[in-house]
Amino acid sequence: MVESIYGEYKEKLQLILDNIVGRLSENNDEQYKKTGDKLYEHLIARVKSDESMREKCERRGLEANAYNALHELTDSIGIRIVCSFIDDVYENVRLIKSLPNIEVVVEKDYIKHAKPNGYRSYHMIIKVTAPFPDVCGNDPGEYFVEIQLRTIAMDSWASLEHKMKYKKNIAESELIVAELKRCADELAACDVSMQTIRNLIKYS
Amino acid sequence: MKLLLAEDEKDLSKALTAVLTHTGYSVDAAFDGVEALEFLEKNDYDAIIMDIMMPRMDGIEALKKIRESGDFTPVLLLTAKAEIDDRVTGLDAGADDYLTKPFAIKELIARVNSMTRRNDSYAPKNLRVGSVTLDTEKQEVTSENSISLAQKETKLLEYFMINPGKELTTERIFEHVWKGDEGVSHDVVWMYVSFVRSKLQAINADIEITGERNGSYSLTLI
Repeated sequence: MVESIYGEYKEKLQLILDNIVGRLSENNDEQYKKTGDKLYEHLIARVKSDESMREKCERRGLEANAYNALHELTDSIGIRIVCSFIDDVYENVRLIKSLPNIEVVVEKDYIKHAKPNGYRSYHMIIKVTAPFPDVCGNDPGEYFVEIQLRTIAMDSWASLEHKMKYKKNIAESELIVAELKRCADELAACDVSMQTIRNLIKYS
Repeated sequence: MKLLLAEDEKDLSKALTAVLTHTGYSVDAAFDGVEALEFLEKNDYDAIIMDIMMPRMDGIEALKKIRESGDFTPVLLLTAKAEIDDRVTGLDAGADDYLTKPFAIKELIARVNSMTRRNDSYAPKNLRVGSVTLDTEKQEVTSENSISLAQKETKLLEYFMINPGKELTTERIFEHVWKGDEGVSHDVVWMYVSFVRSKLQAINADIEITGERNGSYSLTLI
Protein backbone atom coordinates (compact mmCIF):
# COMPACT_ATOMS: atom_id res chain seq x y z
CA MET A 1 0.00 0.00 0.00
CA VAL A 2 1.26 3.47 -0.86
CA GLU A 3 1.80 5.64 2.19
CA SER A 4 -0.58 8.58 2.63
CA ILE A 5 0.74 11.95 1.47
CA TYR A 6 -0.03 13.21 4.98
CA GLY A 7 2.16 10.48 6.51
CA GLU A 8 1.82 10.17 10.28
CA TYR A 9 -0.36 13.31 10.44
CA LYS A 10 -3.27 11.80 8.58
CA GLU A 11 -5.23 10.76 11.68
CA LYS A 12 -4.55 14.11 13.32
CA LEU A 13 -6.29 15.90 10.50
CA GLN A 14 -9.47 13.99 11.17
CA LEU A 15 -9.18 14.72 14.90
CA ILE A 16 -8.86 18.46 14.26
CA LEU A 17 -11.73 18.40 11.82
CA ASP A 18 -13.99 16.54 14.28
CA ASN A 19 -13.04 18.93 17.04
CA ILE A 20 -13.91 22.08 15.08
CA VAL A 21 -17.10 20.66 13.62
CA GLY A 22 -18.06 19.58 17.14
CA ARG A 23 -17.58 23.08 18.49
CA LEU A 24 -19.52 24.62 15.60
CA SER A 25 -22.46 22.26 15.91
CA GLU A 26 -22.56 22.79 19.68
CA ASN A 27 -22.93 26.51 19.02
CA ASN A 28 -25.61 25.77 16.50
CA ASP A 29 -27.62 23.56 18.87
CA GLU A 30 -27.31 26.09 21.65
CA GLN A 31 -28.57 28.88 19.40
CA TYR A 32 -31.43 26.72 18.18
CA LYS A 33 -32.53 25.95 21.72
CA LYS A 34 -32.32 29.62 22.66
CA THR A 35 -34.00 31.25 19.67
CA GLY A 36 -35.55 28.54 17.52
CA ASP A 37 -33.29 29.64 14.65
CA LYS A 38 -30.31 27.70 13.44
CA LEU A 39 -27.00 29.48 12.90
CA TYR A 40 -26.41 27.45 9.81
CA GLU A 41 -28.53 25.16 7.69
CA HIS A 42 -25.90 22.46 7.28
CA LEU A 43 -22.18 22.06 7.01
CA ILE A 44 -19.93 19.69 5.15
CA ALA A 45 -16.44 18.90 6.28
CA ARG A 46 -13.70 16.78 4.75
CA VAL A 47 -10.05 15.93 4.87
CA LYS A 48 -8.83 16.32 1.31
CA SER A 49 -8.32 12.89 -0.20
CA ASP A 50 -4.82 11.66 -0.88
CA GLU A 51 -5.49 11.64 -4.56
CA SER A 52 -6.71 15.23 -4.82
CA MET A 53 -3.93 16.48 -2.58
CA ARG A 54 -1.27 14.80 -4.72
CA GLU A 55 -2.92 16.24 -7.80
CA LYS A 56 -2.97 19.72 -6.30
CA CYS A 57 0.72 19.54 -5.33
CA GLU A 58 1.54 18.56 -8.86
CA ARG A 59 -0.56 21.39 -10.27
CA ARG A 60 1.30 23.84 -8.07
CA GLY A 61 4.70 22.40 -9.01
CA LEU A 62 5.28 21.09 -5.50
CA GLU A 63 6.69 17.72 -4.54
CA ALA A 64 3.95 15.53 -3.14
CA ASN A 65 4.99 15.27 0.51
CA ALA A 66 3.53 15.91 3.94
CA TYR A 67 5.32 19.24 4.40
CA ASN A 68 3.93 20.71 1.21
CA ALA A 69 0.48 19.23 1.78
CA LEU A 70 0.22 20.56 5.34
CA HIS A 71 2.33 23.69 5.33
CA GLU A 72 2.54 25.08 1.81
CA LEU A 73 -1.07 24.28 0.96
CA THR A 74 -3.78 25.20 3.39
CA ASP A 75 -6.81 23.18 2.36
CA SER A 76 -6.02 19.70 3.72
CA ILE A 77 -8.92 20.34 6.11
CA GLY A 78 -11.97 22.02 4.58
CA ILE A 79 -15.31 23.05 6.02
CA ARG A 80 -18.25 24.56 4.15
CA ILE A 81 -20.94 26.21 6.23
CA VAL A 82 -24.24 26.85 4.45
CA CYS A 83 -26.64 29.34 6.03
CA SER A 84 -30.21 30.46 5.38
CA PHE A 85 -29.56 34.18 5.62
CA ILE A 86 -26.68 36.55 4.85
CA ASP A 87 -26.45 37.86 8.41
CA ASP A 88 -26.04 34.28 9.63
CA VAL A 89 -22.89 34.00 7.54
CA TYR A 90 -21.39 36.98 9.35
CA GLU A 91 -22.58 35.68 12.72
CA ASN A 92 -20.77 32.39 12.06
CA VAL A 93 -17.64 34.29 11.04
CA ARG A 94 -17.81 36.18 14.32
CA LEU A 95 -18.24 32.96 16.31
CA ILE A 96 -15.36 31.21 14.55
CA LYS A 97 -13.09 34.13 15.35
CA SER A 98 -14.07 33.92 19.00
CA LEU A 99 -13.16 30.23 19.32
CA PRO A 100 -10.10 29.58 21.51
CA ASN A 101 -6.87 28.26 19.96
CA ILE A 102 -7.71 29.69 16.57
CA GLU A 103 -6.01 32.38 14.57
CA VAL A 104 -7.38 33.83 11.34
CA VAL A 105 -4.68 33.83 8.66
CA VAL A 106 -6.57 34.94 5.55
CA GLU A 107 -10.06 36.35 5.26
CA LYS A 108 -11.84 37.24 2.02
CA ASP A 109 -15.34 38.62 1.79
CA TYR A 110 -16.58 37.69 -1.66
CA ILE A 111 -20.12 38.51 -0.55
CA LYS A 112 -19.40 42.22 -0.27
CA HIS A 113 -16.82 42.00 -3.04
CA ALA A 114 -18.30 39.46 -5.45
CA LYS A 115 -16.01 37.98 -8.08
CA PRO A 116 -16.57 39.24 -11.64
CA ASN A 117 -18.36 36.02 -12.61
CA GLY A 118 -20.87 36.57 -9.79
CA TYR A 119 -19.35 34.17 -7.24
CA ARG A 120 -20.27 35.05 -3.68
CA SER A 121 -18.93 33.40 -0.50
CA TYR A 122 -16.98 34.24 2.62
CA HIS A 123 -13.56 32.58 2.74
CA MET A 124 -11.35 32.09 5.78
CA ILE A 125 -8.12 30.28 6.37
CA ILE A 126 -7.53 29.69 10.05
CA LYS A 127 -4.63 28.22 12.01
CA VAL A 128 -5.66 25.82 14.75
CA THR A 129 -3.39 25.01 17.65
CA ALA A 130 -3.55 21.29 18.50
CA PRO A 131 -2.19 19.31 21.47
CA PHE A 132 0.17 17.28 19.29
CA PRO A 133 3.09 18.05 16.97
CA ASP A 134 2.82 19.30 13.40
CA VAL A 135 4.86 18.74 10.25
CA CYS A 136 7.22 21.61 11.09
CA GLY A 137 8.11 20.10 14.45
CA ASN A 138 6.06 22.55 16.56
CA ASP A 139 4.47 21.04 19.66
CA PRO A 140 1.71 22.04 20.25
CA GLY A 141 1.27 21.90 16.51
CA GLU A 142 -0.41 24.29 14.11
CA TYR A 143 -2.79 23.13 11.39
CA PHE A 144 -4.51 25.04 8.62
CA VAL A 145 -8.24 24.82 8.05
CA GLU A 146 -10.04 26.41 5.11
CA ILE A 147 -13.59 27.51 5.74
CA GLN A 148 -16.15 28.67 3.17
CA LEU A 149 -19.35 30.27 4.37
CA ARG A 150 -22.30 31.07 2.13
CA THR A 151 -26.08 31.11 1.86
CA ILE A 152 -28.11 28.27 0.36
CA ALA A 153 -28.63 30.34 -2.78
CA MET A 154 -24.91 31.06 -3.16
CA ASP A 155 -24.21 27.38 -2.58
CA SER A 156 -26.47 26.11 -5.34
CA TRP A 157 -25.12 28.76 -7.67
CA ALA A 158 -21.53 27.71 -6.89
CA SER A 159 -22.27 24.06 -7.58
CA LEU A 160 -23.79 24.94 -10.95
CA GLU A 161 -20.89 27.18 -11.84
CA HIS A 162 -18.50 24.40 -10.81
CA LYS A 163 -20.16 22.04 -13.29
CA MET A 164 -19.81 24.65 -16.00
CA LYS A 165 -16.14 25.22 -15.23
CA TYR A 166 -15.15 21.58 -15.35
CA LYS A 167 -17.06 20.61 -18.42
CA LYS A 168 -15.13 21.53 -21.49
CA ASN A 169 -16.61 22.57 -24.82
CA ILE A 170 -20.06 23.60 -23.73
CA ALA A 171 -22.03 24.96 -26.64
CA GLU A 172 -22.75 28.70 -26.30
CA SER A 173 -20.56 28.89 -23.20
CA GLU A 174 -20.27 32.67 -23.45
CA LEU A 175 -24.01 33.02 -23.24
CA ILE A 176 -24.17 30.59 -20.34
CA VAL A 177 -21.50 32.50 -18.46
CA ALA A 178 -23.48 35.72 -18.93
CA GLU A 179 -26.71 34.07 -17.82
CA LEU A 180 -24.97 32.54 -14.80
CA LYS A 181 -23.80 36.03 -13.84
CA ARG A 182 -27.36 37.31 -14.17
CA CYS A 183 -28.59 34.44 -11.98
CA ALA A 184 -25.94 35.25 -9.36
CA ASP A 185 -27.19 38.84 -9.22
CA GLU A 186 -30.81 37.73 -8.99
CA LEU A 187 -30.05 35.25 -6.22
CA ALA A 188 -28.10 37.95 -4.40
CA ALA A 189 -31.15 40.19 -4.77
CA CYS A 190 -33.32 37.50 -3.17
CA ASP A 191 -30.84 36.91 -0.35
CA VAL A 192 -30.72 40.63 0.40
CA SER A 193 -34.51 41.01 0.22
CA MET A 194 -35.10 38.01 2.49
CA GLN A 195 -32.64 39.38 5.03
CA THR A 196 -34.40 42.75 4.89
CA ILE A 197 -37.82 41.16 5.39
CA ARG A 198 -36.44 39.12 8.27
CA ASN A 199 -35.19 42.34 9.89
CA LEU A 200 -38.51 44.10 9.25
CA ILE A 201 -40.33 41.26 11.00
CA LYS A 202 -37.81 41.15 13.83
CA TYR A 203 -37.82 44.88 14.58
CA SER A 204 -41.45 45.72 13.87
CA MET B 1 -48.58 66.52 -8.43
CA LYS B 2 -46.14 69.36 -8.02
CA LEU B 3 -45.47 72.14 -10.51
CA LEU B 4 -42.91 74.88 -10.70
CA LEU B 5 -44.17 78.05 -12.31
CA ALA B 6 -41.56 80.58 -13.45
CA GLU B 7 -43.33 83.74 -14.56
CA ASP B 8 -42.26 87.29 -13.84
CA GLU B 9 -45.66 88.96 -14.40
CA LYS B 10 -47.07 88.98 -10.88
CA ASP B 11 -50.74 89.08 -11.87
CA LEU B 12 -50.46 86.26 -14.38
CA SER B 13 -48.44 84.18 -11.91
CA LYS B 14 -51.09 84.71 -9.26
CA ALA B 15 -53.92 83.77 -11.62
CA LEU B 16 -52.16 80.66 -12.96
CA THR B 17 -51.26 79.52 -9.44
CA ALA B 18 -54.88 79.86 -8.38
CA VAL B 19 -56.27 77.94 -11.33
CA LEU B 20 -53.65 75.18 -11.21
CA THR B 21 -54.08 74.76 -7.45
CA HIS B 22 -57.80 74.52 -8.00
CA THR B 23 -57.17 71.81 -10.61
CA GLY B 24 -55.34 69.77 -7.97
CA TYR B 25 -51.69 70.70 -8.49
CA SER B 26 -49.49 72.15 -5.81
CA VAL B 27 -47.56 75.08 -7.25
CA ASP B 28 -44.31 76.83 -6.34
CA ALA B 29 -43.99 80.25 -7.97
CA ALA B 30 -40.64 81.67 -9.05
CA PHE B 31 -40.37 85.12 -10.61
CA ASP B 32 -37.19 84.79 -12.62
CA GLY B 33 -34.80 82.14 -13.99
CA VAL B 34 -32.36 82.28 -11.09
CA GLU B 35 -35.11 81.75 -8.58
CA ALA B 36 -36.49 78.87 -10.65
CA LEU B 37 -33.11 77.12 -10.51
CA GLU B 38 -32.99 77.66 -6.76
CA PHE B 39 -36.36 75.96 -6.37
CA LEU B 40 -35.18 73.06 -8.53
CA GLU B 41 -32.11 72.54 -6.43
CA LYS B 42 -34.24 71.87 -3.37
CA ASN B 43 -37.37 70.22 -4.74
CA ASP B 44 -38.49 67.90 -7.45
CA TYR B 45 -41.43 68.66 -9.72
CA ASP B 46 -43.66 66.73 -12.06
CA ALA B 47 -43.55 69.55 -14.59
CA ILE B 48 -42.23 73.08 -15.03
CA ILE B 49 -44.06 75.96 -16.68
CA MET B 50 -41.64 78.66 -17.67
CA ASP B 51 -41.88 82.05 -19.31
CA ILE B 52 -39.11 82.82 -21.82
CA MET B 53 -38.86 86.53 -21.13
CA MET B 54 -37.76 86.90 -17.52
CA PRO B 55 -35.32 89.20 -15.69
CA ARG B 56 -31.95 88.01 -14.26
CA MET B 57 -31.98 84.81 -16.35
CA ASP B 58 -34.33 84.14 -19.23
CA GLY B 59 -36.29 80.93 -19.69
CA ILE B 60 -34.08 79.52 -22.45
CA GLU B 61 -30.90 79.89 -20.42
CA ALA B 62 -32.55 78.45 -17.32
CA LEU B 63 -33.85 75.54 -19.37
CA LYS B 64 -30.38 74.82 -20.75
CA LYS B 65 -28.96 74.79 -17.23
CA ILE B 66 -31.73 72.45 -16.06
CA ARG B 67 -31.01 69.97 -18.83
CA GLU B 68 -27.25 70.25 -18.36
CA SER B 69 -27.68 69.24 -14.73
CA GLY B 70 -29.31 65.99 -15.85
CA ASP B 71 -32.83 67.05 -14.83
CA PHE B 72 -35.43 65.73 -17.27
CA THR B 73 -38.56 67.20 -15.72
CA PRO B 74 -40.98 68.12 -18.54
CA VAL B 75 -40.95 71.83 -19.39
CA LEU B 76 -43.69 73.89 -20.99
CA LEU B 77 -42.43 77.24 -22.30
CA LEU B 78 -44.60 80.31 -22.38
CA THR B 79 -43.67 82.82 -25.01
CA ALA B 80 -44.98 86.22 -25.94
CA LYS B 81 -43.25 86.03 -29.27
CA ALA B 82 -44.91 84.20 -32.07
CA GLU B 83 -41.66 83.91 -33.97
CA ILE B 84 -40.93 80.42 -35.26
CA ASP B 85 -37.24 80.80 -34.41
CA ASP B 86 -38.04 81.31 -30.72
CA ARG B 87 -40.12 78.18 -30.55
CA VAL B 88 -37.40 76.21 -32.28
CA THR B 89 -34.73 77.56 -29.91
CA GLY B 90 -36.91 76.60 -26.97
CA LEU B 91 -37.59 73.09 -28.18
CA ASP B 92 -33.93 72.61 -29.10
CA ALA B 93 -32.88 73.71 -25.63
CA GLY B 94 -34.92 70.86 -24.20
CA ALA B 95 -38.49 72.13 -23.85
CA ASP B 96 -41.23 69.55 -24.27
CA ASP B 97 -43.96 71.91 -25.37
CA TYR B 98 -44.70 75.60 -25.74
CA LEU B 99 -47.66 77.91 -25.59
CA THR B 100 -47.86 81.37 -27.16
CA LYS B 101 -49.26 84.25 -25.14
CA PRO B 102 -52.06 85.06 -24.92
CA PHE B 103 -53.38 81.57 -24.33
CA ALA B 104 -56.54 80.04 -22.97
CA ILE B 105 -56.16 78.72 -19.41
CA LYS B 106 -58.06 75.61 -20.49
CA GLU B 107 -55.39 74.81 -23.04
CA LEU B 108 -52.57 75.37 -20.54
CA ILE B 109 -54.16 72.93 -18.11
CA ALA B 110 -54.72 70.35 -20.83
CA ARG B 111 -51.07 70.60 -21.91
CA VAL B 112 -49.79 70.33 -18.34
CA ASN B 113 -52.02 67.30 -17.74
CA SER B 114 -50.71 65.70 -20.89
CA MET B 115 -47.08 66.32 -19.92
CA THR B 116 -47.41 64.92 -16.42
CA ARG B 117 -49.19 61.83 -17.77
CA ARG B 118 -46.20 60.87 -19.92
CA ASN B 119 -43.74 61.68 -17.21
CA ASP B 120 -41.96 58.31 -17.31
CA SER B 121 -40.56 58.41 -20.81
CA TYR B 122 -38.38 61.41 -20.08
CA ALA B 123 -35.89 59.72 -17.84
CA PRO B 124 -32.77 58.30 -19.49
CA LYS B 125 -32.21 54.52 -19.49
CA ASN B 126 -28.98 54.71 -17.54
CA LEU B 127 -28.49 56.89 -14.49
CA ARG B 128 -25.32 57.49 -12.53
CA VAL B 129 -24.77 58.98 -9.09
CA GLY B 130 -21.41 58.53 -7.36
CA SER B 131 -20.05 55.11 -8.25
CA VAL B 132 -23.52 53.71 -8.83
CA THR B 133 -25.13 53.07 -12.22
CA LEU B 134 -28.76 52.12 -12.61
CA ASP B 135 -29.84 50.34 -15.78
CA THR B 136 -33.60 50.84 -15.78
CA GLU B 137 -34.12 48.50 -18.71
CA LYS B 138 -32.24 45.52 -17.25
CA GLN B 139 -33.48 46.48 -13.75
CA GLU B 140 -29.98 46.20 -12.41
CA VAL B 141 -27.87 48.40 -10.18
CA THR B 142 -24.08 48.27 -10.34
CA SER B 143 -21.23 49.61 -8.27
CA GLU B 144 -18.47 47.20 -7.24
CA ASN B 145 -20.87 44.30 -7.82
CA SER B 146 -24.21 44.30 -9.50
CA ILE B 147 -27.57 43.15 -8.18
CA SER B 148 -31.02 42.78 -9.69
CA LEU B 149 -33.91 44.99 -8.71
CA ALA B 150 -37.65 44.39 -8.65
CA GLN B 151 -39.73 46.69 -10.85
CA LYS B 152 -40.80 49.00 -8.02
CA GLU B 153 -37.29 49.04 -6.58
CA THR B 154 -36.01 50.21 -9.97
CA LYS B 155 -38.62 52.96 -10.13
CA LEU B 156 -37.88 54.06 -6.59
CA LEU B 157 -34.12 54.18 -7.08
CA GLU B 158 -34.59 55.92 -10.43
CA TYR B 159 -36.64 58.62 -8.71
CA PHE B 160 -33.91 59.07 -6.09
CA MET B 161 -31.14 59.15 -8.69
CA ILE B 162 -32.91 61.75 -10.80
CA ASN B 163 -33.21 63.88 -7.66
CA PRO B 164 -29.97 63.34 -5.73
CA GLY B 165 -29.65 65.36 -2.53
CA LYS B 166 -33.28 66.49 -2.56
CA GLU B 167 -35.64 65.83 0.32
CA LEU B 168 -38.38 63.53 -0.97
CA THR B 169 -41.36 63.03 1.30
CA THR B 170 -43.07 59.67 1.76
CA GLU B 171 -46.14 61.15 0.03
CA ARG B 172 -44.17 62.36 -2.99
CA ILE B 173 -42.42 59.01 -3.35
CA PHE B 174 -45.69 57.12 -3.03
CA GLU B 175 -47.32 59.38 -5.60
CA HIS B 176 -44.45 58.89 -7.99
CA VAL B 177 -43.81 55.17 -7.70
CA TRP B 178 -47.17 53.69 -6.69
CA LYS B 179 -49.43 56.17 -8.49
CA GLY B 180 -52.63 54.42 -9.49
CA ASP B 181 -51.86 51.14 -7.72
CA GLU B 182 -54.83 49.87 -5.78
CA GLY B 183 -54.83 48.48 -2.26
CA VAL B 184 -51.37 49.81 -1.37
CA SER B 185 -50.75 51.92 1.70
CA HIS B 186 -47.99 54.46 2.33
CA ASP B 187 -46.20 51.83 4.43
CA VAL B 188 -44.93 50.33 1.20
CA VAL B 189 -42.52 53.28 0.82
CA TRP B 190 -40.59 52.41 3.98
CA MET B 191 -40.45 48.75 3.02
CA TYR B 192 -39.05 49.46 -0.44
CA VAL B 193 -36.64 52.07 0.88
CA SER B 194 -35.38 49.28 3.18
CA PHE B 195 -35.01 46.90 0.23
CA VAL B 196 -33.11 49.41 -1.88
CA ARG B 197 -30.92 50.40 1.08
CA SER B 198 -29.77 46.82 1.61
CA LYS B 199 -29.16 46.36 -2.08
CA LEU B 200 -27.02 49.49 -2.24
CA GLN B 201 -25.03 48.13 0.69
CA ALA B 202 -24.72 44.75 -1.00
CA ILE B 203 -22.98 46.28 -4.01
CA ASN B 204 -20.74 48.47 -1.83
CA ALA B 205 -22.31 51.66 -3.15
CA ASP B 206 -20.93 55.06 -2.16
CA ILE B 207 -24.44 56.50 -1.98
CA GLU B 208 -27.15 55.87 0.58
CA ILE B 209 -30.75 56.77 1.28
CA THR B 210 -31.01 58.72 4.50
CA GLY B 211 -34.19 59.45 6.43
CA GLU B 212 -36.59 57.95 8.92
CA ARG B 213 -39.69 55.83 8.49
CA ASN B 214 -42.69 57.86 7.21
CA GLY B 215 -40.59 61.03 6.95
CA SER B 216 -38.53 62.50 4.12
CA TYR B 217 -35.76 60.59 2.40
CA SER B 218 -32.76 61.81 0.51
CA LEU B 219 -30.12 60.19 -1.66
CA THR B 220 -26.68 61.27 -0.47
CA LEU B 221 -23.06 60.45 -1.05
CA ILE B 222 -21.46 58.54 1.81
